[in-house]
Amino acid sequence: MIKKAFRQIGALIRKDLGLQFRSKGTLVLVFVFSVLVVLIFAFAFGPIFPEKVERSKLAASVLWAAFVFAGIITLNRSFAVERSHGALHGIRLTGVDVSNLYLSKVISNVVFLFLLEIVITPITLQFLDLLDVVTMGILLKLLGVLSIGTLGFCAVGVLLAGMSTSTSGGESLLSVILLPLVIPIIMGGAKCTVSLLVTGGLADRFWLYLLIGCSLIFLAAAYLLADAVIEE
Amino acid sequence: MRLRASQLTKNFGHRTIVKDATLSVNPGEVVTIFGPNGAGKTTLIKILATLLKPTSGKLEIEGTDAIEDCSGVRRMLGVVIHETLAYPAFSPYENLKFFGQMYGVKQLEHRATRLLAEVGLQRFAHEPLHIFSRGMTQRFMVARALLHRPSVLLLDEPFSGLDASAKQFVLGRIAQEQQDGKAIIVTTHNTELGYLVGTTFFFMINGELEKVAQRDEITAERLLLMYEAEMQSNLSV
Repeated sequence: MIKKAFRQIGALIRKDLGLQFRSKGTLVLVFVFSVLVVLIFAFAFGPIFPEKVERSKLAASVLWAAFVFAGIITLNRSFAVERSHGALHGIRLTGVDVSNLYLSKVISNVVFLFLLEIVITPITLQFLDLLDVVTMGILLKLLGVLSIGTLGFCAVGVLLAGMSTSTSGGESLLSVILLPLVIPIIMGGAKCTVSLLVTGGLADRFWLYLLIGCSLIFLAAAYLLADAVIEE
Repeated sequence: MRLRASQLTKNFGHRTIVKDATLSVNPGEVVTIFGPNGAGKTTLIKILATLLKPTSGKLEIEGTDAIEDCSGVRRMLGVVIHETLAYPAFSPYENLKFFGQMYGVKQLEHRATRLLAEVGLQRFAHEPLHIFSRGMTQRFMVARALLHRPSVLLLDEPFSGLDASAKQFVLGRIAQEQQDGKAIIVTTHNTELGYLVGTTFFFMINGELEKVAQRDEITAERLLLMYEAEMQSNLSV
């Protein structure tokens, strides 16, 4: 049973990533969009902040704004491709457990967005004159924080995208219903990012615990609800 | 009995699309449902395929309650509907390989290659699906439906938009699957092809399913006359 579940989840993830990287449409769109967000913020605010603290706060805002909006685009595209030719029906007809389908979507979206974060984070730090003051250790911790936030974001986002893309105007609906729910994740993630960039560590653990706690709670709750939401 | 549906009803808001549909299919039987566009055939097929939940009624597939345990019975179904149920960016081979992995098909690569040869797509096995014509897509959909050797086939308008050779292919394939003991439901508005392929005939008009006859009880001409009369009386109402 577990072996079968792993086989199905593995096939679904390979399929999702294969589609994302083959069409390149979403890849190019989210990359260009994220770079654009970074450039706009960097050119609009960058030179007026000589202090590292201020630049760090700006970097955290830029990073999380870019990833949240890139995430919404990715989630919408991820389900649009399933619905456009009835492929989701095709998957349902294989008798797959909908919870496994949900998990695979979360994993493939997290992997996709994390790859984007690996590319965009150094670019953002470079544009805000922070790359040379950030060590490899801090960069890895930062990517760790971003990956936890991405997991929480995708955990609830996949569930809502599964629901919203079946409705008319689903793309805008996703933003409306998702953003209020992920506020704790964005708050926790942004605070942890600022702390890492300013001090090199996480002095106030509250925000990290909030980030991890919310991500896990969202994942567990969405996993349990997936069957009812996606099946309907 | 492979599939038994009793008094299936589907409402969308205040509109009733399928009203008290009752039918059953045995192994080796081909049920043809004739009906005009908008009669509720596709909705009925989607309910039988467990892709839509009925508002009321019962559905059993291979003795299992298909409404309560839909994921358990889905593996027994091969479905062709208007959508490809596949990924247009992938080739037929990649699609069959992916869905085969999901179904847990044994010797998958051999099975996929053989099926694609059987439906005449071996030359296009590695071309993306989105460049295919309607007929080629229909051939792929048949291969996809047969991939996991289902015991029940649900074919919604399998002849629509096909040229003569593609229609012959679908007819031949249905006959072959019937001989293999599959229970088959075909919906169509083409009485000629529907008669050729079916063993039991139903009319579906305005969501109401009505059994007409067995094949040995009726000629094609008589079936056509009855269908036209039914359509006329429906129009006059």
